[in-house]
Amino acid sequence: MTKLNGESTVNTMTRSHRALALATAAAALIALAGCSADGGGGGGGDAACAPEDITFVGQVRNETNPYEKSWLDGGQEFATSVELEQKRLTYDGESPKQLEQIRQELSTGNPECMVLNVLTNTDADTTPVVKAAQDAGAYVVTQWNKPADLHPWDGYDKWIAHITYDGKDSGYQIAVALFESMGGKGGVIALQGQAANVTAENRFAGLEQALSEYPDIELLDQQAADWDRTKAFDTTGTLLTKHGDAIGGVWAANDDMALGAYKALEAASRTDVGVVGIDAVPEAVQAIADGTMVATVSSDGPWQGGIGLAMGYCALTGELDVADLPNENREFFAEQVLITTENSADYLTPKANLADFECGKLFDRVAGPLE
Amino acid sequence: MTTVRPGEAPPAGRGDSERPVRPNRLAAWRRSDRISVFGPPVALVLLIVGFSILNPQFRTMGNFRSILDTAAVLAVVAVGLTFVLMLGAIDLSVEGIMAASALSFALLIANNRNEIDLGFFAVVLAVGIGAVFGGANGFLSTRLRIPSFMTTLGVSAIGIGVATVLFGGVQPTIRSAGVTAWATGDIVGLTPLTFVALGVILLGVGLERYTRFGRYARVVGGAEDLALLSGIPVRRYKTLVFAFAGAIYGLAGVMVTIKLGSGIVAVGSGLNFAAITAAVIGGTLLSGGRGGVLHSIVGVLIVSVLANGLVLIGVDSNFQTAVQGFVVVAAVAITNWPLRRRLRVVK
Repeated sequence: MTKLNGESTVNTMTRSHRALALATAAAALIALAGCSADGGGGGGGDAACAPEDITFVGQVRNETNPYEKSWLDGGQEFATSVELEQKRLTYDGESPKQLEQIRQELSTGNPECMVLNVLTNTDADTTPVVKAAQDAGAYVVTQWNKPADLHPWDGYDKWIAHITYDGKDSGYQIAVALFESMGGKGGVIALQGQAANVTAENRFAGLEQALSEYPDIELLDQQAADWDRTKAFDTTGTLLTKHGDAIGGVWAANDDMALGAYKALEAASRTDVGVVGIDAVPEAVQAIADGTMVATVSSDGPWQGGIGLAMGYCALTGELDVADLPNENREFFAEQVLITTENSADYLTPKANLADFECGKLFDRVAGPLE
Repeated sequence: MTTVRPGEAPPAGRGDSERPVRPNRLAAWRRSDRISVFGPPVALVLLIVGFSILNPQFRTMGNFRSILDTAAVLAVVAVGLTFVLMLGAIDLSVEGIMAASALSFALLIANNRNEIDLGFFAVVLAVGIGAVFGGANGFLSTRLRIPSFMTTLGVSAIGIGVATVLFGGVQPTIRSAGVTAWATGDIVGLTPLTFVALGVILLGVGLERYTRFGRYARVVGGAEDLALLSGIPVRRYKTLVFAFAGAIYGLAGVMVTIKLGSGIVAVGSGLNFAAITAAVIGGTLLSGGRGGVLHSIVGVLIVSVLANGLVLIGVDSNFQTAVQGFVVVAAVAITNWPLRRRLRVVK
C-alpha cells in the first residue's frame, strides 16, 4: 500500500477486487502514466506483472515416471528460487484431460500473470493448448511434441517457445558409446520403442547412422519391446537363445528397456554384454555408475521443468521480449548430455542448475533448428 | 444319463425312440467337448512342431527353458483369472493389483529407499495386499451389485494410484541377494520362479478339482440361479474367488519385481489382456462355467510359444503383433466352433 506507480500494482488491485475507489484511482493513474492497459506483449523493459503475482504451472503426463517427476521437481526448484510455487499437473497421458486442466487453470487463475510449461501429449494436442493460452493471455512453453507446420512465430505472442530433442542424435550418441565400448566390432541387438512411433523411429535412425560408420559392427536383430521393461526382459531372453555368444551389445531406445535387457543378461550370466539406453532415469544412471550399463542420454528433466517457467518469468518481469526473439530461439532442439561412467556421478541425483535459468542464459542450450 | 428318472416314464410308443435320440445328442456333446478339450493342446503341439521345423534353435533345451521361464508370470496370473472367468465374471484389475503388491514388496524387502527388510514376510504381506484388493472386487460386485468389469476396472485404478504414491519418484531397487537368486538361480535349468509358478498351477488344479471352492466357482458360472436356489452361498463364494485371484496377482507382482530387480508401477502392463487371451484360447469361456486351470495353462503356453517362435524364425517385428492376433482369432474360432450354438453370447 505504498505508492500506486506502474502497471503491476494496478493489476494487483483490480484482480484482488479491492475497493472500487482504489480501482478508480488506479484507472486514473493508468491514464496519467499513459500505460497501455492490455497487460500483454511485454514491451522490452516493462514489467507486466509484479513478481509475487506470477503463477507457475508445470504439466506432465504422470509422476510415476522418474523423468517426468524430475521435470516437475526442477520447475519447483526454479519457482522456489524466485520465492514462488509451481502448480503440478498430471494428465495420465490422456489428451482431453490435458486440455481440460489447462482451460481450468486459465479460467480460475489470473492468466495475464501465468506461465505454463507443458509436456504436450501428442503432436495434435499442442495446437489447442497454445491457442487456449494465447486467447487467455498466458505465457506458454511447450516441449517434445508439436505438429511440424505449427510455429510459435505464426501469430502467437504468448507461446514463447517449443523445445524438443533430436531423437536421431540420442540414438546415434549411445550407439557410438556402445560400439566404442565393444572395441568397434561385434554383434548388437536393438530393442525398439513402439512400432510407428516417431520418437522410436528417430532414435533407430540414429543407430542406423552409427552402424554405417562402424562397418565391423553387425546388427543381429531388432525387435519392438514397446518401451516396456518386462517385454524387453523377455525379448532379450529369446534373442539370447537365437544369437547366443554373437551378441556383444544391446542398444535400447529407452532406459526402461535397457534395464530389462540387463536383467535378462544377468539371468543368463552374460554380464559381459554392454547395454545402452536413453532418458537417464535415476536407475540407469546408477547402473552406469556401478558399471553395469555403458551409457544413456539425458535431456535433463529438471532443466526442462525450470526453463519453460524461467522464460515466462523473464517475459513477465520485462527482462525478455518475446516479440524480439529470433525464430531459432522459438523452436529448437536443445542440447542433450551423454552420460557414461566418467560423468555419471554428476547426474546421480537429478538437480536443476539455477544458473541456467538466468534471463540472459535462457537460450544457451539451443542446439539447432527442428528438422 | 441313461437311466429314466422316476415320474418321467416315457409315453407309450416312444419308449423305443428314446434310446437312439439320447445317445446321439450325447455323442454330439462329446464331439464338441473333444474339440474344446483337445483342440488347444493339438494347436500347441502343431505350433511347436512347426517352429521346430522352421528353426532348429527353437527345439533346443535352452529355448524350451527360456519359454517356460518367460511363461511363468503369465501362467500365475492366468490361474487366478481362470477362477474369476469360471464364475462368468471378468477381472480387469490385474495391472492395478500387481502394481500395488509390487511396490509394497519392493519397499518391504531390503531396498535402496528405506531400512526395512522383512524377508519372506514381505512376500506374505504383498500377497495379502493383493487379496484385500481382490476381496474389494468381490465385495463391490456381489454386495453393491455392480458389474465386475466396472468394479475391477475401478479397483485397478486404485491399485495404480496406491502404487504411484508408494513409488514417490524413486524406483525402489531390491538390494537383497537372496531375493535376486530366485530370478537367476538354476534348478534343472529353470529359475526358481518357474517352480513357484508350477506350485501355483498345482494349487489351482487342486482347488478346482478337490475343493468346494473350485466346484462352486464352476457351478455358479454354469447356472447362478440354480446355485442360489440350491442354497449355495453364491455371494460368499464369488467374493472368495475374487480375493483368491487378487492374492495370486499379488504374487505375480512379487515375481516380476524379483525378476526385474526393482518395483515398477507398470509391472503388469499388458498382462491382463494376455491372460484373458490365454484363458480363452485354452478353452475357458468368458460366459463362465467351462474351462479350467489346465485349459488356461495350455493357452499360456500357446501365447508364449508363439511370441518366442515368431522372433526365432525372424518374422519382422512390425508384423508380429498382427500374426499373433491372427493366430489367436483362428484358435478361438476353431476351438469354439462346435460350441457356438450353446454359447449364445455374441457381445
